[in-house]
Amino acid sequence: MKAFSYVTAQTADSAVSLVGDRGRFLAGGMDLLGEMKDGLVEPALLVNVKAVPGTREIAAGRGTWTVGANVTLTRLAEHAEVRKVFPGLAQAAEAVGSPQMRNGATVGGNLAQHSRCWYYRQRDARCVKKGGARCLARGGENKYHSVLAHTMCLSPCVANLAVALAALDASVVVQRGAKTVTLTVAQLYEKAWTDAKAHHSLGSDELILRVEVPVVAGARSVYVKVAEKSEFDWALVSCAAAGRVEGGQFRGVRLALGSVAAVPWQMQEANAFLEGKPATDETAAGAAAILLRDAEAREHNGYKIPVAKALVRRALAALGA
Amino acid sequence: MPWPKETKFLGKETPRVEGPAKVSGRAKYTGDVAPAGVLYGAIFRSKWPAARVKSVNLAKARIAPGIKAAILARDGEFDVRYYGDEIAALAGTSKQAVLDALALIEVSAEPRAFVVKEVDALKTDAPTVVAGRANLTEGAAKETGDVEAAFAASAAVVETRVSTPIQVHHPMETHGHTVQWDGEELSAWSSTQGVFACRDSFAKSLNVAQNRVRVRCEHMGGGFGSKFTPGAEGVLCARLARAAGAPVKLMLTRFEEGLAVGNRPSSFQKLKLGADADGKLTAFEIYSFGTPGHTAGANTGGGSGGASFPAPYLYKPAATRVKQGSVAVNAGQSCAFRAPGHPVASVGMEAVLDDLAVKLGMDPVEIRVKNDPFDVRRREYAIGAEQFGWKQKYRKPGTMAGAVKTGVGCAGAAWMSGGKGTQAEIQVNADGTVEVRVGTQDLGTGSRTVVQVVAAEMLGLGLDRLTVRIGDSRLPPSGSSGGSQTTAAVSPAVFDACENVVAELKKLSGIEDPRGENWQAACAKIGNLPLQVRGKWREGLSTGGAGGVQFAEVEVDTETGFVKVKKLLVVQDCGLVVNKLTCESQINGGVIMGLGYALYEQRVMDARTGFVLNPTLENYKLPGAADMPEIEILLIDMPERGVIGVGEPCTVPTAAAIANAVANAIGVRVPDLPLTPDRVLAALGQVPKGTADTVRRPGAWVDGRASVAAAPVAPWVERNGGGQAYR
Repeated sequence: MKAFSYVTAQTADSAVSLVGDRGRFLAGGMDLLGEMKDGLVEPALLVNVKAVPGTREIAAGRGTWTVGANVTLTRLAEHAEVRKVFPGLAQAAEAVGSPQMRNGATVGGNLAQHSRCWYYRQRDARCVKKGGARCLARGGENKYHSVLAHTMCLSPCVANLAVALAALDASVVVQRGAKTVTLTVAQLYEKAWTDAKAHHSLGSDELILRVEVPVVAGARSVYVKVAEKSEFDWALVSCAAAGRVEGGQFRGVRLALGSVAAVPWQMQEANAFLEGKPATDETAAGAAAILLRDAEAREHNGYKIPVAKALVRRALAALGA
Repeated sequence: MPWPKETKFLGKETPRVEGPAKVSGRAKYTGDVAPAGVLYGAIFRSKWPAARVKSVNLAKARIAPGIKAAILARDGEFDVRYYGDEIAALAGTSKQAVLDALALIEVSAEPRAFVVKEVDALKTDAPTVVAGRANLTEGAAKETGDVEAAFAASAAVVETRVSTPIQVHHPMETHGHTVQWDGEELSAWSSTQGVFACRDSFAKSLNVAQNRVRVRCEHMGGGFGSKFTPGAEGVLCARLARAAGAPVKLMLTRFEEGLAVGNRPSSFQKLKLGADADGKLTAFEIYSFGTPGHTAGANTGGGSGGASFPAPYLYKPAATRVKQGSVAVNAGQSCAFRAPGHPVASVGMEAVLDDLAVKLGMDPVEIRVKNDPFDVRRREYAIGAEQFGWKQKYRKPGTMAGAVKTGVGCAGAAWMSGGKGTQAEIQVNADGTVEVRVGTQDLGTGSRTVVQVVAAEMLGLGLDRLTVRIGDSRLPPSGSSGGSQTTAAVSPAVFDACENVVAELKKLSGIEDPRGENWQAACAKIGNLPLQVRGKWREGLSTGGAGGVQFAEVEVDTETGFVKVKKLLVVQDCGLVVNKLTCESQINGGVIMGLGYALYEQRVMDARTGFVLNPTLENYKLPGAADMPEIEILLIDMPERGVIGVGEPCTVPTAAAIANAVANAIGVRVPDLPLTPDRVLAALGQVPKGTADTVRRPGAWVDGRASVAAAPVAPWVERNGGGQAYR
């Protein structure tokens, strides 16, 4: 690990002006410190952002809840009101890593984490995400990789919270220069869809401050995943759904899939398909088919397609249960 | 057996002596030992899967800040055969100084073509791992009886294909040593399962007299067969310490554990089994190969890490043909791994046996009882089936309705165990306290507690009167902890020493029976110097030949492919139980390891770069607490047989039982371990075919040698050019 400087930012403004293009923000450090130890990144400066005001609160508003970027996943998962109002969000937080990790990991860090692709993480491998000529997962060991890809890179988005927040139609508030901007979850990741080198849309000096989750009367939410192990394992596929089932019909339902694409995979067409249709397994299967319509199996990841379809059906079943 | 019938400690539950020290952090492991002025050591490893190393330049590293020693692992020109092969080593005043200096080592090398996948390595145009030697070594087929005639006469014949992965030991405590020289005297604190073997190995490798080497291992965090010798890392550590004139601590990282310190060989097995109409086995045939790493050979012992394994394992069909091969790949070498060969053998044999039972319409327990030659195991099947509720739970394969299906399976184990040759020393002090000394070590099995239990029982004392010293090559000699032999080797020696103590004390005190309540009075006669008495292993107190059977109940989600083990019942004989608590703990550990083998663990290598892709516990998946089924253990206590070790038989049948239970649940066999969701769904025919960027054939493997292009020298590897410095 290269030597680095360390500074604690007292405001969001100072955090983004301090970090520059050679620094990195440090919150829980779950992802960043691993990357540094493996020699994948060598920041000259770490800017501790845990003291930035207003980033540790979970606040219930009338129409919108805000969750600070420095809220730990343990706190989010165990928050009694969050569990009641946004169960899918609490479930997604609870499904991250191990208890020790969730104690340190933060909401902002989970959203801004970098690729977990084992070629990207391999210290001596030179892949397209690290500036190489090609994606090593293509034609290689791509069992854990995307079935939906737009660039050469097959690394999927594995941020649990991104999947749940996408289904909940949440916004992400980001400090950009002197201003704050509000992004949709899709916007937060869209660059990863179009740029093989990108992990998300944020520049190195853009800091997530909080997420804002709209409250929809009567809506429920759910997050389900399948991994190889029962716990402490990355999702092979995850699915979040949020919305209402009224009079046996789906209303305002949004779906998102994780670990299948470089972004939380959402399709307006699938959501629209559900609108007003009977809340049955058949309807759910129809939405699943739309969501996975463009999925392309590679040598080792074809299983993700049936798993994703099964999870969509289960998530929608849970929504109406 | 002269063991007492009425017991206070033997066969009862005594908690681990060192438990409180371990959980409170007071226990000192190798990595905790820090002699004054200790330096940090690290190894510079090959980043090529195959290369001819022309020269290594340590000059810049040697003069880097904080560096006190820089040595070459090998002199002159040499070949490296896997990513992670040792090239050089450094010692310095801090970890950071050493890591920084590793980046200054310059290597001039010619990268060579390599191959890391077993199936690729079979091909005629595959790069040869060892120059001038074919990758595949096959022994001649071994035949008994007329195999073709026996198959032809069989009422039912089935063929089954299975494969088992490379399993990596991954002990919680990584491999490593702290070594200190005092002139020509070498003191090593080693994470080892054999302090004497380690001592002798150090002496030989470093050309030092055996009486000038001392190896200590007070506590260790597992080895599973991979820590019998100091290893390359131990020898480099000792050489660094000598070169630096200071003690050096060299503990490997988790990353290095995944590359370079052993593994269980893989297997690809094609089995054929026949039986008569009554289910009596008539004929058996197997063709198998696997890789033990970069140095392959037609080793049939298994214990040395060869790719062969016993077949047809537990069973004795009259006609058998066994042909096994071993294929070299550019990867780290295997070594002994908990019950070498046996879990591999069990997975294949028990699978084909179950498939045959299905074809015959026979109950899997019934076909085993009919064919198992070992009476102990036959009895264990009967006891286990009753306890498990086998008859109620077993249904025809794949007949359960619904997306989530349950299934049951069973399998058996055999292990030679045994063990002898240990000496023990007991010192009795005038205050009545006792110190028992044995040069064994505690691999994690509870051997310190075993010593304490035997001595307390035989001397009639409370545990608080006894101190146990182990883990030091200056103590009375004992063998390595391997082969499930420690308890059977150590207990008789302590027993013998206790008998000698009692005899001496009787003579000395005039008290007829100085044990128990007379102890204090007898000890009062000892005088100024303590009484010291020896004992040694003798016949009649321990033996070998363990069986054991296991029953598994699983739940398979046929929509996601996820397998959850609900229950594992272990019926295990181990002769006389010395300490029930640590015995059951051993069995729990064996079951958990077998469960990992069945469902999660596999070393994944990349064909084009030669890298191990999962040298971390993030992607090398070990079972965790949430993955645990209910584990029920029935110990078949057979005191008349004496002490029999249990550490290995208990891990042998777990994976086979689970795989059979999965096949029973879904009605098709998932041929390749581990049984991950992708493979379960593939076996169920639910996975769409992948479009390949570059054609590889997942899961397919060939009998002979097809012709496919050789793996290219990787152009995708960073900083991997010949002759240039890299970090």
